[in-house]
Amino acid sequence: MSDDNVSLVIDGRAVSAPPTASIIQAFSLSGGALVSNVGCMGQGVCGSCRCMVRRDGSRDVTMELGCETPVEAGMQVAFVSYFQPKRPHVYDLEALTDSWQILDAMDETFPQAKSCRHCGGCDRACPRGLDVQKGVEYAVLGDVQAAREVFTECIMCNLCTLACPERIRPNHLGLFIRRALAALTLRPQELMRRLRQIENGTLTVDTSTVDDTRS
Amino acid sequence: MTAIPYAEALDRYRANAGGFPLRPDDATIAELIAAYHPDSTGGKAIPLKIGVNAGMLCQPQVAALLQTNALIEDVDIAGAEILNTDILVIGGGGAGAAAALTAAGEGARVILATKLLLGDSNTVMAEGGIQAAVGDDDSPQRHFEDTFKAGHRAADKELVAQLALDGPDVIRWLIKLGMSFDVVGHRPFGGTLKRKTPGGATAPRILSYRDFTGLEMMRVLREAVGLHRGIQVMDRSPAVELLSDERGGCAGAVVYSLEHHRFVLVRARRTILATGGSGRLHLNGFPTSNHYGATADGLVLAYRMGAKLREMDSFQYHPTGIAHPAHLAGGLVSEAARSEGAKLVNGLGERFIDELKPRDVVASAILREIQEGRGVSRDGQTGVFLDVPGLVAAKPGILETTLISLAHLAKKCRIDPTAEPLLVTPTLHYQNGGVAIDTHGQSSVPGLFCVGEISGGIHGRNRMMGNALLDIISFGRRAGAHAAEARAEAYSSRAGIGHIHDWQRQLTLADLPLDARGPHVFPDYGNFDLVADAGIGPRAAE
Amino acid sequence: MTGIKQVLLDPAIQIGADLTTWLSLGGGDGLKAAIASPAGALDTVRDSGLRGMGGAGFPTSRKWEMLIASEAHDKAIVCNGNEDEPGTFKDRHLLEHTPHQVIEGGLIAAVATGTNQLFFYINPHHTKGLAAMRRAVEQWLVHDLLQAAQAAIGKSIKLAVVESSGLYIGGEETAVISTIEGGFPFPRRKPPFPAQSGVFGAPTVINNVETLANLPHILAHGAAWHRANGIGDAVGTKLYSLSGDVLRPGLYELPMGSSLHDLVFVHGMGMLSGKEFKAVFTGGPSNTLLTKKDLDVALDFDSVRARNSRLGTGAMIVISEGTSIVRKISEYMDFFANGSCGQCPPCKSGTYQLSRILNRIDAGDGSDGDLAALENLCSILPGCGRCALIDGAVTVVESSLSTFRNEYVSSIRRRD
Ligand SMILES: Cc1cc2nc3c(=O)[nH]c(=O)nc-3n(C[C@H](O)[C@H](O)[C@H](O)COP(=O)(O)OP(=O)(O)OC[C@H]3O[C@@H](n4cnc5c(N)ncnc54)[C@H](O)[C@@H]3O)c2cc1C
Ligand SMILES: Cc1cc2nc3c(=O)[nH]c(=O)nc-3n(C[C@H](O)[C@H](O)[C@H](O)COP(=O)(O)O)c2cc1C
Ligand code: SF4
Ligand code: SF4
Ligand code: FES
Repeated sequence: MSDDNVSLVIDGRAVSAPPTASIIQAFSLSGGALVSNVGCMGQGVCGSCRCMVRRDGSRDVTMELGCETPVEAGMQVAFVSYFQPKRPHVYDLEALTDSWQILDAMDETFPQAKSCRHCGGCDRACPRGLDVQKGVEYAVLGDVQAAREVFTECIMCNLCTLACPERIRPNHLGLFIRRALAALTLRPQELMRRLRQIENGTLTVDTSTVDDTRS
Repeated sequence: MTAIPYAEALDRYRANAGGFPLRPDDATIAELIAAYHPDSTGGKAIPLKIGVNAGMLCQPQVAALLQTNALIEDVDIAGAEILNTDILVIGGGGAGAAAALTAAGEGARVILATKLLLGDSNTVMAEGGIQAAVGDDDSPQRHFEDTFKAGHRAADKELVAQLALDGPDVIRWLIKLGMSFDVVGHRPFGGTLKRKTPGGATAPRILSYRDFTGLEMMRVLREAVGLHRGIQVMDRSPAVELLSDERGGCAGAVVYSLEHHRFVLVRARRTILATGGSGRLHLNGFPTSNHYGATADGLVLAYRMGAKLREMDSFQYHPTGIAHPAHLAGGLVSEAARSEGAKLVNGLGERFIDELKPRDVVASAILREIQEGRGVSRDGQTGVFLDVPGLVAAKPGILETTLISLAHLAKKCRIDPTAEPLLVTPTLHYQNGGVAIDTHGQSSVPGLFCVGEISGGIHGRNRMMGNALLDIISFGRRAGAHAAEARAEAYSSRAGIGHIHDWQRQLTLADLPLDARGPHVFPDYGNFDLVADAGIGPRAAE
Repeated sequence: MTGIKQVLLDPAIQIGADLTTWLSLGGGDGLKAAIASPAGALDTVRDSGLRGMGGAGFPTSRKWEMLIASEAHDKAIVCNGNEDEPGTFKDRHLLEHTPHQVIEGGLIAAVATGTNQLFFYINPHHTKGLAAMRRAVEQWLVHDLLQAAQAAIGKSIKLAVVESSGLYIGGEETAVISTIEGGFPFPRRKPPFPAQSGVFGAPTVINNVETLANLPHILAHGAAWHRANGIGDAVGTKLYSLSGDVLRPGLYELPMGSSLHDLVFVHGMGMLSGKEFKAVFTGGPSNTLLTKKDLDVALDFDSVRARNSRLGTGAMIVISEGTSIVRKISEYMDFFANGSCGQCPPCKSGTYQLSRILNRIDAGDGSDGDLAALENLCSILPGCGRCALIDGAVTVVESSLSTFRNEYVSSIRRRD
């Protein structure tokens, strides 16, 4: 390995890697068995590579995505497994048919949201830097559109769910709102027209229109 | 290979910014592809030696993998825990989730086993969007024709027709599950879906959610699966072999628990393989846009059990993978950027192809530029420019509203996307062929369904943008519904791995090595050794 | 038990919430002494060498001095009765059986420090203790002695029983303050320290139940008497919560500085089922393990510290050769992971990850990499939280890993 390499420790493994490498890449380069805490490997959309990072000389430990964070000399990294709450918030979206009931359904499924302590744990936990706490607040206030926006780029890493002392499951609350809004209000007109045409048989596909000489 | 140094190329790019001349081109599409597409220029396709498709041409690395010996022997699974279920779905991407939800919705008991975590997949990474012919200026017929032609007329027409016709209903199904789509203006009810034109299409047909359509789709599917009482999810449980019954049909699978380091036999009335693609095999030495689990496992297992494959010599190289910086190489720049109008520019500051041509054409054209010395080289990485600054100038605000992932990516590349073009080069993106199926996703092996990227026949020899997300839901649901019909049937009397004995006979008779084992389960840089991890020890036979 | 000096647990004073009886048995003398000379009370406590029994063993008089130094009108003392960690069960006994001992101690502290607010912060899970304290406080409110105390400091003293959240984290000093202020038991960033700004901004001292319960005796009998109750340099008596694989678990009051061996083998009557002694988790399972070679250690703050561990609350969870260290640690880590509040995500994620790996090793599914990952966490996590929860959790893992590595290794080898 070249002299430009930096040394760091990942899950107890001494690793040396070029400074451009991500934490995940460095771990793999070092010969570590990479069989979990990885998914999209670089795109930052699956949330699997959540990790705790302590930088050299700092007391702070931050929550980051290992596939997007470049390595630094003296870094210490520990991956955090996916957190599965023992009792998730269960709801049946199909049973929610009346859009007037969205707030009630939210209260019923996520009763803890009202008791948000504004501790900011979720905000500090979020590797995407979303305003999670604000999202919960909007939801409780009934500003569902604003709540929906906050969670637009949530990758469901579940770190806010792990952090929240009130067991609010902020990301699942956000997703509930997003799902409910789409399921209850998204009715594009051309789609409705097209479905009717297909379902009443006026629109079909004729496979004989194209010749199958390969190009 | 020579190339134009970055600084020089950047000067020419800046000089022409706003009006890049399009270089005239006399090469036909067929010539371009034959001369530059990696399917033709990479490792030459070779005939398979054994299995139901013996004699069929196959990409050589894939052929080697298909013709490997099983990872496990009968003794390794003696005493293993046995689970019973109606339907076993293998793979936690979009196709697996759609199949599981549909089968469970029909009342079947479902186990969904996946290698990483539910949702860690190519699906979650999809950016550009999903095709569905909903526009008044569009029709399923056009969708069918465009898809069939883009696939070089190699696809199974019935499958393509089914795909096109299912499109609108797939969108409705996804909306019912709570997936959002971009609309024009701010009118969800009675509004109009935002549509983009994919390369090779005759009408705007791509529906999307921002430029992270797959994330939106997958998080909705994952939540729906997770909350469904009829579905048991087994995370970190890759399938390492299929189970066969006395008649050669599929009777479930052997999965390996990475958490507990042991094998579990899942017996099922029907098995649905939805293990996705093969980008992480890095065919022909290419980087890939695919997720970490895309190692063609399902393909290997299905072929070993006798499932027919097709178009195994045809892979899609997405034109715009990141070329620089090196550590992000292969990462995808969504076609959405070109759909929105971003141009490709070579080191001489000229355009060299209509950016909205089908992917294989555009990718070949880029590779031609690079091979003929008109590429741009930076820190040893070579590619061509994607003119994002020009796009931003034409459509101010687009990075904030529409191409959010692109802006995020530029940041990771440490580039100001309003001022500096991205350096791109083709990246291994999609497995065009795969397991041959019918319109229910049924493979040629009784009891075995294959849906999603593992399947073949829908996209022929080239897939259009947005048709994969459509096919995984369309055929995922079809397979789920069809498989669920078997929920009252009796289990086969036997479920074992007897079929590998026949396979080993074929290997030996064809003089193929017995010590090459597959599937890979993880890329080689995953440093994972199943034999050591499971403690199944050295084998006498070797 | 003969020959054992019972002060706090003296059977004669386990009388419940009746104030008249308490006073008839000599209760109140200590408070009267403090009223007679508040400054003398501080001197006496300083001379007695009394230290905090809530875990840290910090000299009580030093805490008080910070309070005395403040010119603020409003000051607060909180009696910390949150007691929630595994293996500690001393405070709940005192609260239930001898609440006046605790309240009088609190009043002595108030008089000595000129404090006008006295909170008894009680874990609601100790239902009996909570009820007894409520009844006991009511009686003080109308008693002349309270008046006298108020006169001594020239302020009216507010006495209140406050229910804690019942969460482990609620026992941490700043979490105590948050709770009393009506909030969730979130520990706060320090500084400011409670003695600078505590309950609603008032300078505040937090004292453990047992710490306060010692005061009536010290003030009544003097510093020298108290010192003499201990062995060697150690002072007073200590409540030891003895549990685990001993024949006779229970709450023992022994001279401070009694040996671990005596506690386990004499008072606890030795190991259960004739098994060999293996180790002791001291002071709530957040300290370095004591092992066979430490059986001779004197159970006082400094002697235990000299073995790189801590006396803590005086809880001693004894483990025999029949009990798996890995399993115990894994259980305790579940406790810490549940108990971490989450406002510092690395503490929550860290304890979660530790617990997940420990569970896996305990189930026989661990790998060599897991040991390295545990050690890695132990090196990353200390200091990442606002309170000491994470540090305690790390200490016990680290200690077991260094002392009982073989047990971890054999759990891992089991699957080979
Ligand atoms: C970066 C990127 C962008 C894309 N953009 C678009 C787009 O805009 N539009 C579009 O239509 N298509 C797009 N595609 C293609 C499309 O996303 C995929 O083809 C499609 O999502 C595949 O879905 P799938 O369910 O078949 O496979 P996947 O989503 O890949 O899921 C396969 C699953 O199977 C699991 N698995 C693998 N092996 C095993 C095993 N042995 N045992 C158990 N489980 C296993 C995997 O871990 C994974 O969870 C894109 C692809 C990529 C990589
Ligand atoms: C997480 C945590 C929990 C604690 N729980 C208690 C408790 O339940 N009771 C207690 O007296 N002290 C507890 N403490 C210690 C207190 O913070 C404080 O040091 C003690 O109450 C001071 O009293 P003392 O000086 O009389 O010991 C805890 C500390 C921490 C970090
Ligand atoms: S909101 Fe929660 S789940 Fe979503 S990315 Fe942030 S921490 Fe992860
Ligand atoms: S972690 Fe929970 S309680 Fe704290 S701010 Fe976030 S949602 Fe509120
Ligand atoms: S691996 Fe998917 S977010 Fe990092």
